[in-house]
Amino acid sequence: MATEPRIYPSKRFRFEIKDNLWKWIFLLPAVAIILILLAVPVVWTLYAAFTDLHLYRIGDFETEFVGLANFQKLMSNRSFWRTARNTVVFMLGVVPAQLIIGLTVALALNNITRGQKLFRTWFLMPLMVSPVVVSFIVGRMLFQEDIGPINDILRNLGFEGVPWLTSPTWAMVALMAIDVWQWSSFMILMLLAALQGVPPDLHEAARVDGANQLQSFWRITVPLIMPITMTALLIRIIDAFKVVEIIMVLTGGGPGQATESVTLAIYRTGVKGGDLAFGSSQAYFLLIVLMIFGGAYLVLTRRAMGKD
Amino acid sequence: MGLNAQKRLRSTISYTILLFWSFILLFPMYWVAITSFKNAIDMSIKATYLPFIDFQPGLHAWRYLFVDRLTWFLDPFMNSVIVAFVSSTIALVIGSSAGYALARFDYGGRNNSIVLGFMSQRMFPGALFILAFLVMFRELGLLDTRLSLIIVYSSGAIPFIVWVMRDFFEGLPVEIEESAMIDGANRLGVLFRIAMPLAAPGLVAVFVLSLIGAWNEYLVALTLTFREAITIPLFMTMQVSQTGYTEWWNMSAISLVSVIPVVAAGMALEKYITGGLTFGALKG
Repeated sequence: MATEPRIYPSKRFRFEIKDNLWKWIFLLPAVAIILILLAVPVVWTLYAAFTDLHLYRIGDFETEFVGLANFQKLMSNRSFWRTARNTVVFMLGVVPAQLIIGLTVALALNNITRGQKLFRTWFLMPLMVSPVVVSFIVGRMLFQEDIGPINDILRNLGFEGVPWLTSPTWAMVALMAIDVWQWSSFMILMLLAALQGVPPDLHEAARVDGANQLQSFWRITVPLIMPITMTALLIRIIDAFKVVEIIMVLTGGGPGQATESVTLAIYRTGVKGGDLAFGSSQAYFLLIVLMIFGGAYLVLTRRAMGKD
Repeated sequence: MGLNAQKRLRSTISYTILLFWSFILLFPMYWVAITSFKNAIDMSIKATYLPFIDFQPGLHAWRYLFVDRLTWFLDPFMNSVIVAFVSSTIALVIGSSAGYALARFDYGGRNNSIVLGFMSQRMFPGALFILAFLVMFRELGLLDTRLSLIIVYSSGAIPFIVWVMRDFFEGLPVEIEESAMIDGANRLGVLFRIAMPLAAPGLVAVFVLSLIGAWNEYLVALTLTFREAITIPLFMTMQVSQTGYTEWWNMSAISLVSVIPVVAAGMALEKYITGGLTFGALKG
């Protein structure tokens, strides 16, 4: 965290006695709620991952510890690795696209003065729309194979209609398109904020020194917006790894298992199927991957930027 | 090429990019809007784009929604309203009090660690929680109740509120609060009468963001509710899985009713919402 805590102790002793009470009254409800609803599920799920807990057998049978059996099952479960692969493919598809669109649109937005606020406000819109509405109503209507407008436009342009939801590849593309539609705005707004933090004098000085615009962009803009870009990318990568809602309602993971994500697999195993133990081990697998990945990402980007 | 011509070219390219992306964002929403005025026939032969030219718009979907079957979607709609408002209000009161405390009091020099502890929640995938919540709320007999969603959503919003509001309160001058306390006000009075009103822009932003979060949430609602307490997103997906046939015009009208209030609120408060959304990364 960049800022040091600013603490303002009361000057008078009698306030401090009273404050000692208030300081706990203000903080403890939040701490208690988070401990109960964050720590308990995290610990409970870890416990469940090492047992044979099943939703429909709770109370009827003794729950037994099974050691690493669930994780062994996970490692050899081809269907789970399929969902892991799908999730990575999804992430690798959407995040670069969002970065490119985000940077292009943010640069354009930073380049204009009239109407900037209007565009910024409009770009906020997709972030407010429920993923269910986006993928279920919008996605299913737009990607309809026979009379959907996307295929209709493609046919009018002389192409063939695309089997959006029945072909494994195209179903994944459709899901990516929906995520890009919804979340590019996040990259746009973050990168715009980063670009606006670049002092204009620097470009002016570079121009006077004879640098062209491309040099000025690579040597001044890019290094200065790098920290925010890296953080924004990390947030998007983590969110992409957790993708589930748009998949549930657009393709249901299909055709076959072609678009099933890890989180959807956890929901199916644990909630629908009631196999809490195996679902928990999958959830922990996802958490561990996210933590290793997030940690490595932070260390590597910090080191890379520190060296510059 | 002169400097002016270059500038003009750059701004033309910029506006082209911006208008193009605006159109991409607009088109799906436009499609939902016109579909809510379409008849079955307009959606059975070919794609129709323009009202009055391609197809005759009608109000039947809206009449169906607001006159014929009002109670049918009013229940989930009210569930969404109650769950979103109650959970956001609870989260706002509890979260901003904690944010204030972390800005003004010293917790043995560990204030930053406490805030980071709150934020660690962001790393955890939702999938990690749904299984535990399912068992937890089943044991408590709270499955399919609005209370279960209110509890989950308020706890989900608190960390973010603590984080943003702590920073916001730190930016407020402490002198006003001190002089009020010398005049005999206690901390509670200071928080609610002085600090909170001064922090109103921040409070509005986090409140609206948690409102939108609760309003749009699907995975937890799908896990914990199934009949009485279902919210709008769940209600919409249930319409199709039950019938297997989709009345797109009705679904589109429901979508608009559910989307317009939050989008309007978010866009009206653009400055604060963008600030709240980008806050985390900008500070990092």
